Parts: sequence; C-alpha cells; structure tokens
Amino acid sequence: MEASLPISATTNLTPTRPATGTSPLGLNAPAIKLPLAFMLTGLAALSVGASWIVIQPSILASYHYNQNVVALTHLFVLGWICSIVMGAMYQLVPVALETKLYSERLARWQFAFHLVGFIGMVWMFRAWNMKQVGHFGTLLTIGVGLFVFNIARTLWRVPKWNVTATAVTAALFWISLTVIAGLSIATGKCVYESTEGLATKGGVSMLITGLRLLAGFVSRFDAISAMHAHAHLGGVGFFTMLIVGISYKLIPMFTLSEVQSQRRAGLSVGLLNLGLAGSFIAILLRSPWKLAFALVTITALAIYGWELRAILRARKRGPLDWGIHYFLTAVALFGPLSLLAVVLSWPGLPLNTFTGQLENLYGFLGLLGVVSFAIVGMLYKIIPFLIWFGVYSKHIGRARVPALADMYSPRLQMIGYWSFLAGLVGISVGVLCGNERVIRFGSLLFTTSVVALLINGFKILSHAACPQIMPLGTSRSAKPITK
Amino acid sequence: MNSFSTVNERMVLDAMRQVIDPEIGCNVVDLGLIYGVAISGAKVRLQMTLTTPGCPMSESIAQGAQWALLGIDGVEEAEVELVWDPPWHPSMMTETGRAVTGMR
Repeated sequence: MEASLPISATTNLTPTRPATGTSPLGLNAPAIKLPLAFMLTGLAALSVGASWIVIQPSILASYHYNQNVVALTHLFVLGWICSIVMGAMYQLVPVALETKLYSERLARWQFAFHLVGFIGMVWMFRAWNMKQVGHFGTLLTIGVGLFVFNIARTLWRVPKWNVTATAVTAALFWISLTVIAGLSIATGKCVYESTEGLATKGGVSMLITGLRLLAGFVSRFDAISAMHAHAHLGGVGFFTMLIVGISYKLIPMFTLSEVQSQRRAGLSVGLLNLGLAGSFIAILLRSPWKLAFALVTITALAIYGWELRAILRARKRGPLDWGIHYFLTAVALFGPLSLLAVVLSWPGLPLNTFTGQLENLYGFLGLLGVVSFAIVGMLYKIIPFLIWFGVYSKHIGRARVPALADMYSPRLQMIGYWSFLAGLVGISVGVLCGNERVIRFGSLLFTTSVVALLINGFKILSHAACPQIMPLGTSRSAKPITK
Repeated sequence: MNSFSTVNERMVLDAMRQVIDPEIGCNVVDLGLIYGVAISGAKVRLQMTLTTPGCPMSESIAQGAQWALLGIDGVEEAEVELVWDPPWHPSMMTETGRAVTGMR
C-alpha cells in the first residue's frame, strides 16, 4: 500500500535548511548527564541493597524497628527509588508537561547534597548514631528543598494545567512533609544528649531551644507510629502519587492512547490526597479511623486501575512491550498491598510476631514490589531514550540508527521480569514465615533480576561509547560504523 | 547531480523510509506519518505528523526527515512541516507498517 500524498506537486516554497545539531529532547529537558548520574546512583544502591538481603536475610525475618532494617529501608528509599525518581522527574516533568526545567544548575547541586546525604544517613542509621543521621539528613533536606523549588518553578511555567501537573504538585508537598517529619523524628531521638553543654547565648541558644521544643512535641507521639506515618507520607504521597500522575501521561504516550475520563483521573488523584492526609493523622495518633482512610486510598487506587484499564483498551498499539508489562505488574500489586493495608488498619488488631511480619511484608511489597517494579519498567523506557537522544538524534535521516528496543536484550528483560516476580514471591513467603533460608532464596532470584537489569543497562550505555551507526540503505546485519 | 526534474515523490518516499520513529521501530512512511509532498525544482516541502502530539522525539524526527530530503540527489532545499490535523490513526499505516508493529 502506497502512502497518500494530497499536497499538489508544485507550490510556492520557502524552504529552510536544518539547524546544525540537536539538543536532547528539544529545548525542554536537561542534558542527559544529569538524569543519568541520578540513575546510575540508583542502580548502584539497588545492587548494594539486593546483595545486603542475600548476605543478611535475617533483616527481613525480624521486626522492622531496628538499625539494620531502618538503614536498608533508607538505602532502597533514598538511594534507589528517590535517585531514580528525582533524575527521571528532571527529565520527564518538562517533557510530560511541555515546559522547560527551571534550573539545571540547581539540579546538579541537589545531586551533590542527595548523594552525600543519603550515603551518610544509611551509614549512620546502620551505626544507630541519630545525631549524625540528623546532620546528614539536613544535607539531604537541603537537596530536597532545591529539588522541590526547581520542580515547583518548572510547574509554574506549565502552559496547560492537567491532572499530571496536579499530582506532581501534590507529590512535592508530600515529599517536603516527609523529610520534615523524618528530621523531626531524628531530632526527637537525640537533641537532649547532643545539645547538652552547648552555649546557651545568642542565636545558638535560640536554635537549641527550638530543637528542644520540637523534640518535646515529637516525644508526645509513639515512636513506631511516628515512623509509620513518616513512611506513608513518602510511600503514598511521593512515590504512589507520582506513579499515578505521571502514568496518566506516559502510558497513553507509550501505548498510543489517551486518558478516557479526565474526571476519573482527577478523582483518583484527589482521593489519594484525601486518604493520605487522613491516614497520616490516624496512624500518628493510633486512631481507629485508620481503616476508613485506608479505604479512601484504596478507592483512589481502584479508580486509577479502572481508568488505566480504559486507557489500555482504547490503545492503538497492539502488543504491550516488557517495559509496560513491568509497570502493569506493579499496578496489579496494589491489590495484595491494599488487602494488607486493610488487615493492618483493622481496629483492635493484636500486636504479635505475625502482625510484625505482616508489617514487614507490607513495607517490602510497597517498596520493592509496587514502586520498584514500576521504576524498572519505566527505566527500560527512559534510559534508552536518554542515550538515543544523546547519541543518535543528530544522525537520524543521515545514517541508519537503531530503534530504542534494539539497544538492549528483550530476552534479558524477560528473564529480569520473571526472576523479579519469583523473587518477590519467594521473599514474601519467607517474610511471612520469618524463614531466613526462604528469604535468601527469594533474594537470590531478586538479585538475578537486578543483574539482568544491570547487563541491559550496560548494553544501553555501551551505545554512548560505540554507536551503532550504519550507512543509509544497509541491512541490520551490516557492520556498524564505529565513531 | 543537479537535475531538478529528476526529483519525484517516489525518491522522496524512499528517502523517508530511512527515517524511523525510534520508539515504535518503524519508518515514517509505513507508519503513515507523511501527509504530503510538494516538489518545486530543487525544493521539497514535506508535510508530516507524529503518532502523538507532544511527542518528545518530534524535533529529532522532523530534523531527520529534513536531512533525509537533503540527501536526495537534486534536492537543494527542504522544509518539513509538522501538522496535527487530521490526527494520526493506525488506519493510515501501510500493510508493511502494521505487520512490523503489530498495530491494531
């Protein structure tokens, strides 16, 4: 079938020559080095975290209020998830919302604060030195402040406000509250010992008084409840909010579809905010209202799933690739996670060893199930995208260049998917039974998935060193020109 | 070669088959993205669309199309115009395009 060409063959033309060179993602997104730096940091943290569970499976077999679990959780949350999410946001928010990043320079500064802050925090959590956790946490918070300011100013420029912009704005609010709550908890644990004997005059005196007042306020709340409330702010407010909001833009883009009901999409984001606000207070106060607000959040996720299903049913692209499979599996895991949330919110639930293991499973499934599965799926879109733009965009039309899917091994991607899923099941069973051997077996499968991701990541990055550029008209089997 | 008369639509389409949408992995002709070609001597104007408005690849693909046009013997100037009306739909694809992409 020939293409139809309706324009007449002769017209008055005002042709132009192309500009020399292209900037990645047009004028909107930052240079690829910045998001790549965040992403490589994230992959390194994931590798360390996965290896840590293999070496020390007892971490997940015991109650989570101890130095190792808190350190490992922050390694995954800050090192792996936040690094990837923040790097991706610098790239995706300008693209998804058709605007320009406010300041790339601020983003580079944030990366430095983030790197030093999270490594120091994990290290000091491991040593259970809360004073130093507070110091490194302050560095991390400065970074988060720069991040929030930068993305907020970027949102300010958005030409057309939509549900994605609303969700990103809400996520910025919740991440700010998360770090404030985290720092407050750290302050409550160490400020009296740390400030003993310090000067009591001038500005320092005011600071110490302020910190002591804050510590006094935080100490009114149960320590474990405060930790759970803090975790929900980050897990639901930042990560889940972004998964929901950004996917309303990206899933239609990747599957060639569109949002089917703006009202449904808006309602899901609104209810997610309402559910989290209520849950935060209810968890903090150990209120029986916890269940009601959990149900509001679950309703929000059900509406999100409904809209996602409608988007996929209306898609023009037939088969879904593995990247989308990863993402949809993450969304499906909201199901068991919601069930656990209902059980753990049930009024009068007895606090025993099994309940503790259920709490471990809830946190594990949330972070390494839902959020990590979604992130890996999106990484298979974002990293090839970044490298392709950096390496090949200036050659398109002048040489034969690979498609995004040609830059990595789909077979490894599939192996990664199944080993990830099997690892999650294995670790979940091990956590429920409190069995270290089963946890180790599951974590080995999970690590296999991480290795598959790293190999594919290396394959994609290798295009930057050895571009696969061929003369026009050559077949795929031809030898590439090495630049 | 500078003979203007030798430039024709077939040459333009052949050149456009060298330009791919890297996300979908198919060339822009078989995807049905080319809406029109106008040839005037050594000047070519191409009207095309993309699969989705706001596509982050738009600038690269449009520029790639321009480079491909300038690579045709006899073409000295080329212009590529991105348009969104009518919106792209899989029914605009060729049989080859559907087979390659598995689109509905």
